[in-house]
Amino acid sequence: MPPPNTPEEGVAATTLRPADDDNFRASSPSSAMAHASQEDAYVSSLDYQNIEYVEPVDETLLCPVCRTPFHSPITTPCGHTFCAGCINRALETQPRCPIDRQPINKTCDYGRLPLIIKEQLDRLQVRCPNKGCDYQCPREHLEGHYERRCDYTQVRCPDSTCSQLTPRRDSAVENGCLHKDAICEFCDKTVAFVEMDTHYSFDCEGAMTECPGCGEQVVRHCLVKHRAQDCAEETTPCKWHTGGCKVVDKRRIVQDHEQSGCPSEAVGRLIQQQVEDRKIIDELVRRLNKFELAQGKNPERRFTQRARVGSSMASSSRNPTTANVPDITLNNNMPPLFPDSTDDAVGGSPEDYLLAQFERLETEVELLRKQALEMDAHQSHIIHQQATHFNEHLAEIGNKVGVVNMHMSWLMSLQRQNHAQQRAGSAAGSANSGMSHGSATSGARPGSSGEGSSTGESRRNSEGRSETLHRL
Amino acid sequence: MTVPFAAKRLGKELQKISNSLPPGVELVSAENFEEWLLDIKVLDNNPIYQNQTYRLKFRFGPSYPIEPPEVVFVQLPDRPIPMHPHVYSNGIICLDLLGQQGWSPVQNVESVCMSLQSMLTGNSKDERPPGDEDFVRANRQRPKDIQFYYHDNNV
Repeated sequence: MPPPNTPEEGVAATTLRPADDDNFRASSPSSAMAHASQEDAYVSSLDYQNIEYVEPVDETLLCPVCRTPFHSPITTPCGHTFCAGCINRALETQPRCPIDRQPINKTCDYGRLPLIIKEQLDRLQVRCPNKGCDYQCPREHLEGHYERRCDYTQVRCPDSTCSQLTPRRDSAVENGCLHKDAICEFCDKTVAFVEMDTHYSFDCEGAMTECPGCGEQVVRHCLVKHRAQDCAEETTPCKWHTGGCKVVDKRRIVQDHEQSGCPSEAVGRLIQQQVEDRKIIDELVRRLNKFELAQGKNPERRFTQRARVGSSMASSSRNPTTANVPDITLNNNMPPLFPDSTDDAVGGSPEDYLLAQFERLETEVELLRKQALEMDAHQSHIIHQQATHFNEHLAEIGNKVGVVNMHMSWLMSLQRQNHAQQRAGSAAGSANSGMSHGSATSGARPGSSGEGSSTGESRRNSEGRSETLHRL
Repeated sequence: MTVPFAAKRLGKELQKISNSLPPGVELVSAENFEEWLLDIKVLDNNPIYQNQTYRLKFRFGPSYPIEPPEVVFVQLPDRPIPMHPHVYSNGIICLDLLGQQGWSPVQNVESVCMSLQSMLTGNSKDERPPGDEDFVRANRQRPKDIQFYYHDNNV
């Protein structure tokens, strides 16, 4: 049994319904952009539950509530996945997971949806839901097509006073409002301008007319086309008239003549072929002229060309195995005969060429910069290593100097001790002799010698302490 | 908004059940997205239901499948109302699955039919619910608004 709601009806209902899915799909920035730039804001947003999928979708990718492939799916804490819209609607009635009835609510922490599922959904092939449009694409691109590019999406009428919708392809401002009534030129009925074609084809009473030539019934507004292409009684030249055939008669006779083998057919085919070849040659010549013009007018191009050669030399010096400078220069001098020329820098206008050069130089600079950074890092690493080495040496030397210092002071103190003992001995001797020399000098000497010995004592003490430290 | 939602979901279900239905379930009519008729049979040898076919009427609200559909047995000359302690003689079914509490949006027409099949299959009492006559005489409510008292959870 066919469903009462045929796909066509469904589509019409979708496209004409105001944007009511907005609870679930906040209007995206892209749509705002389309509105601003084109002034033809699509009126209904894409209804994901009405999309037709090219191939049957795997059961596991269907939302258990709406039975369509997930749209912006979320996963509940209990691990079940639903469309965000569906689960939110279900939770309004019952705060439980529809599958296992675990208590959940709208504010609960929905798990992140695995990207692999998103990818699978994005890749599903879908058809554009607009009537008349047979575009197919992966699902992730459908929204962009539908909202910004599809010629059949219903948008606001270019006439701001008109509240009706019109397909985007008819929405150019210069078309004006197409909903205004017009009078059918054949039956005098009043029909909205936009529906005139449908009117002609189906309900115009004066639509069918007899072809004055063949007497066949044709739709009136197709009469001209009929007479030029199909009418059997219309006078027409033979298909091969370019080949010199002189037959000009009613079409049915001419067709018989063509089928039975026009003597000029071979020549006609040849000429047809030549005309096509000629077109191709003209196109090539046009491109060649354009290219020469660009080359002559653009001295900068030479410069960049040279720069290119220079840099390729530089790169080849870095990597001598790929040195192919002559090839590149050769390619540069070749005119772009074919649009699919493999040398990307040469195809197209001089601007393209310059841009390509510029980009290439940029990447080159980027490469050099990277290498410089690498070198820098390497250098500082080496310096750091050597510096630590030196630091170790310095510390070692410092230690040794300390040891030598201690040895020195120990020897010095030993020396001083001996010296002091000698001096004490000689002082005792001289004191004995000084007694006999005179008391005036000896009165001052014992004091000074006492002082000297006391300092010597204190020195010895301090040296002795350092000596014990050293020994320790 | 909810009207097209129910229609969309029912469209999908219809697509599926016109292709295949479980044994013992048959689609009789689905002219619109408000009321469908299906026939069910009990497949095993339960003597109470042998050689009989029952007509089910589904009525879908605009919030289906968030809200449960209204499901009743319909009496026709060749379609009796099955004897069951949870089925009143006017066709109203007392089943938690069809109430607000027991319903879940993942249920569908097919699963409801299968539940009813198994409800009949598992039954061994050839009787009506207690108070059937009073209920049938007095009830003017829609089935989904009735607050059923589940007399017996074992059946």
